[in-house]
Parts: sequence; C-alpha cells; structure tokens
Amino acid sequence: MPRLNDQIRYWMLVLPALAIMVIFYILPVLGIWEISFTEPATGFGNYVKMTESNAVKTSFILTFRVAAITTVGCLLLGYIVAYAISNFVSRLTPLMMALVLLPFWVSVLIRSFSWIILLGRSGLVNDTLRDIGLVTSPLRLMHNELGVLIAMIHVMLPFAVLPMLANMRGISRSYTDAARGLGASEWTAFRSVYFPQTLPGVFSGALLVFVLSLGFFVTPALLGGGRVLMISEYITYQIQEFLAWGLGSALSVALLVATALVLLIAARFVNLKSALLERN
Amino acid sequence: MTETTDFEAKADIAEIAVERYKQGLLTRRGFIAAMGALGILPALSGKTMAATTEIIVVNWGGKAKDILQEVMCDTYTKETGIKVTVDGAGPSAGKIRAMVESNAVVWDLCDSGAGSALILEKAGVTQPIDYSIVDKSKVLDGAVYNNGVGNYVYSYVLASNPKLLGGNVPQSWEDVWNVKDFPGMRTFRKSVRGMLESATMSMGVAPKDVYEALGTDDGIKASIDRFRQLREHVIVWGSGSDSQNLFLQEEVSIGNIWSTRAHLLKDQMEEGSFTVTFNGGVVAPGIWVVPKSNPAGTEEVMKFIAHAQTPELQVKWLEMIGCGPANPAAAALVPDSMQKWNPSSPENLATQIMYNDTWYAKNQISAEELYVDALIN
Repeated sequence: MPRLNDQIRYWMLVLPALAIMVIFYILPVLGIWEISFTEPATGFGNYVKMTESNAVKTSFILTFRVAAITTVGCLLLGYIVAYAISNFVSRLTPLMMALVLLPFWVSVLIRSFSWIILLGRSGLVNDTLRDIGLVTSPLRLMHNELGVLIAMIHVMLPFAVLPMLANMRGISRSYTDAARGLGASEWTAFRSVYFPQTLPGVFSGALLVFVLSLGFFVTPALLGGGRVLMISEYITYQIQEFLAWGLGSALSVALLVATALVLLIAARFVNLKSALLERN
Repeated sequence: MTETTDFEAKADIAEIAVERYKQGLLTRRGFIAAMGALGILPALSGKTMAATTEIIVVNWGGKAKDILQEVMCDTYTKETGIKVTVDGAGPSAGKIRAMVESNAVVWDLCDSGAGSALILEKAGVTQPIDYSIVDKSKVLDGAVYNNGVGNYVYSYVLASNPKLLGGNVPQSWEDVWNVKDFPGMRTFRKSVRGMLESATMSMGVAPKDVYEALGTDDGIKASIDRFRQLREHVIVWGSGSDSQNLFLQEEVSIGNIWSTRAHLLKDQMEEGSFTVTFNGGVVAPGIWVVPKSNPAGTEEVMKFIAHAQTPELQVKWLEMIGCGPANPAAAALVPDSMQKWNPSSPENLATQIMYNDTWYAKNQISAEELYVDALIN
C-alpha cells in the first residue's frame, strides 16, 4: 500500500501544473492543428500550399540558419563565461553571476531596441568608428542578418551560460589536478579530462538556445529590417494581415514538427535525459 | 493592415522606445485576440462593455487618437449630447474578426483600410453602411463599399532626404531604382500595397496603365523582379512609425511611405533634409467599418459617420495630422499653404493613381508571397 500512496501523492503534486499545461497549452495547440486542416477548406490544402511556397522554404532555411549560428555563438561565448565563473574564484564572481542574470530582468524588446541605438547608421558604434577614423561611411550593422545575429546571441547568451555553469560547478577540480599531476599539460588536461565532462552542459545549453531561437520573434523583427523574416514572424503576418489562419496554423504545426525532429535527431547523439534533466 | 494613423512617434529616443514597447503590446494583444476567437479565452482583455449611450471609435493610437477625439468626436458630443470615445487599440482585421466571432464586440466603429474592409466583408463580420444616413456623394469615388465607407485618404508617396543624397533628389520611381545616382538605403512597406505600383512605374509604365500591366502574371513577376534587383538596398517598414523612425534616424535616404507620416516628418526633420513628391503616388482611402452587433447599435454609428463627413472638420483633420479629406467638397476649403501636402488636392490627385482594391482582392495574397520571397531569398 505505501507504494500506491506514493503514487497518488506524486500525481497530486503534478496535477496542478499538468492541468494548466493541458488547458492552456495542449488544448490550444490541438485547436491550432485542427484549424490547419479545416480552414479555409478541409484537407491538406494548407500544407500543399506551404510546401509549394518558395518564401516559406526560404524562411524555414533562414530560421534554422539563424538559430544554428546563434547557438554556436552562444556556446563559444557562454563556455568562456561559464568556465571563468566556475574556475576562477574571485571577488568578482558574484558580480559576474549578476551580469549573466541581469538581462533576464529587462524585457527582450528593450534589449533588442538597445541594439538599434548601438548599431544604427548613426548609432554609437558607427559614430565612434567614424570619429576615430576607422571607417569613412557607416557600416551596415543592422537591418540585416548580422544585426539579428548580434542581438540574438546577446539575448540567448544566459540560456547557454546557465546550464553550462550548473554542469561545470559539479565537476570536481581533483580530476584536472590529477591529470596535471600525472604530467599532462594544462591544455591536454582541459581537452581530455575537463572538456568531456562539460559536454552534457554544452548540449543542454545548445538545445535550449537552438529551440528557443527557432521560435524567436521580437529580435529578428526589430533588427532584420524586414528582410530576415523568421518563420514565427511569417506566421504572425499570415494571421494578422491576411486572416489566413489556416496557413498560419499549418506553418506553426510545421515549426513544431521541425523542432521535434531536431530533438529526435539530437536524441540519437546526446542523452537527452541527462542533458535536460540533469541534476547538479 | 493600413495602420495609417499611428502617429505617436517622436524624434527623441525615449519616445521611440515607448513606441517599440507599444508595438510589442499590440503583438501580444493580437495573440490574445486570436486566443479569444479560438474559444480559449472567454473574452478579450481591455475595455469593459461600453454603455449604449456611448460610441467607441477605434483607430491606431498616438497623436491621431487625440486629434480624432478633438476634431470629430467632441464636436459630435457637443451637437448631440452623445458621448464618443476614441480607443487607440489598433483595429486590425484579425482583432475585429476575433472580437465578432467570440461574441465580445466592444467597438462600434473602426478605422480600417480598403483591403481589410473587403476581407472583413467576405468574412461576414462587418455591417453594411446605411447610405440613407451616410451621404454617398460626400465621399470620393472608389471609397464607397457595401460594408465600409471612406473617412479620409492618404497616399503612398516618394519621400527622400536631400541632405543624405547630396541635394540630388529623385523625382520619379525610375530614379528610386537608380542606385548609382541616388545612393543609400530605400524603405518599402512590408506588403505589396502601394509598392508594386511604384516598381511598375519604375519600368516606365504610365501611371494610368499600372494596374493593367499588373493584370498578368508576367506583369506581377516583372514588378517583383524589380525588388529582387534592389533588395540589397532595401529596409522594410512594418508600421507607419517604423517608416518615420527610419527617416529620423537617417537609416534611409529614400522611401515609399504614407503621406500622413510624411506630413509629420516635414516638421520633425531639419530644414532641407526632407521632401516629398506626390508624383506617381497611390491614393488609398481609410475606411470606416462597423463590426457586427456593435454595442451602440447601427443607427447611432451611421449618424456619427455622417457627422464626420462635414467638410470643415475634414479640413481641420488635414491641418492637424495630414489626413486628406475624403469629401470632395472639402478641397476648396483647404488653405493654399496646405494644398501641397494634401493627398486629395486636385493638383496632387492629377499625378497619382487610385488604389485598386479589386486588383488586390484578386492578386494580393499570391503577390505578397512572391514579394516576401524576392526580399528575403
């Protein structure tokens, strides 16, 4: 009997969260699936239209490209930050942690907008470059993919840092110390002893950033100059401008399926359970 | 969507930041509206149900909201005692449809556009205009629909910044596509509306033949190709305030923007750094639409629409915010100094073409698709 009690207790604890998920997330998503098959006419019309469309194809490629580059950028920068925070204890460590977390308190919209002020044709960066004589005419830093990537990497960086940090904090120093003691160079100790242990953190950071980037809306819309049309903006466009809810829904289903596929493929190479549910 | 009257952007950065934030809110609201229509949220957030003695008019917010209130609504209240309130929530077609379909209509009259009015009529969520109360003869030709009637007009015009261009100002759309003599970024709308026309004219097609040229698939493709050629020099504007900011921040030197925005820019930009030509412009009417089962009732709203046709009030509207009079009788009352900026002055009408909504009803969706592809691919 105690086993059953445990199970009941377990479900009672899970139930509120589960109910909220089902009512406010799963059901609406099913509604979207239904719309994608029923509007304007029942059948696969929206999906046919979608696959025939060049713009949709381009937008999907663009979305995955931007998400992939953002992920790589976040991992590179984030790894350095996480490594510094977890391996060099100093008075600055709390400040560094605060700097990682601080952006979470500011809305994505405001952060993206700050980039407009920085990267504009007569923004801070261009003005400074011109004043010190490095460029004669302003560089095109935004209203293109470059601007989107800069801002996306900035916005997504904490999502890469935090899982890697949690992972690195759980790695005992004695492993690398032992390797050094056995004669390994600092680089070898890092590469063959430390780095492999951080991979779960790297993968969970990568997945988090990649999946979030796929559905990202605000930053590309503000900094892309309309020419970096990610799929989520395209969906909004269909629904708000043309009332083409069927096509819009079909696109969002496609995005969901594509994201699920990414996770499935990732699961072949990474132990997702340990990457996402890691307890450190 | 024709967010023609979203005028609040100011030159200073702080204001623009607020503006961006507002746009973010709109997006979230749009999402809530969509959820409402799916039956997931019981009603829309925001305004409570209006009393029947009050008419709620909805436009796109900002300065335009205050001016509409002052010019049209307060004068109506003074005349009839009926309270009229402007809500600047932005009545996009998506929101109107969501509201009607979730039986939570709180808006009586919405400032929509020609294309949206037709889409909404087809979706069956708007009411027919009662032309026994609203006078058809007090509206420009081409702005009279079953379920919508012109409230003011605006144009898609060629705006440029002579300072950035070294004083060399483009006079025609042909010049806009000439990046050698007119360097710098151009801005076009994130929609083919008013844009395909300019691309067609840039190929030397006479204004009056534009929609005929666009009548074939090849014509549309040729026009889309013009954007493909130009795309490295294009920044796209989404909302009216976007286009305004692009000029204010000197991100672009040339643009195809709304005359209402140009009207604001002429006062905000330094002397000699902003100019507009109506040559080759596309005149589009703003359209009043009435959502089905609006709280104030059909008749009350129709009376208000009729009130807003008064020529004197329409001229005041032009002077204050650049909305061109939809009532032809108003043209004679416009002061000479304003005629240059009036999209519906006889002189400016002569060099422009009328927005052809039949063409849009037939071709827009497929053209948008090609347009997006040309710009991003």
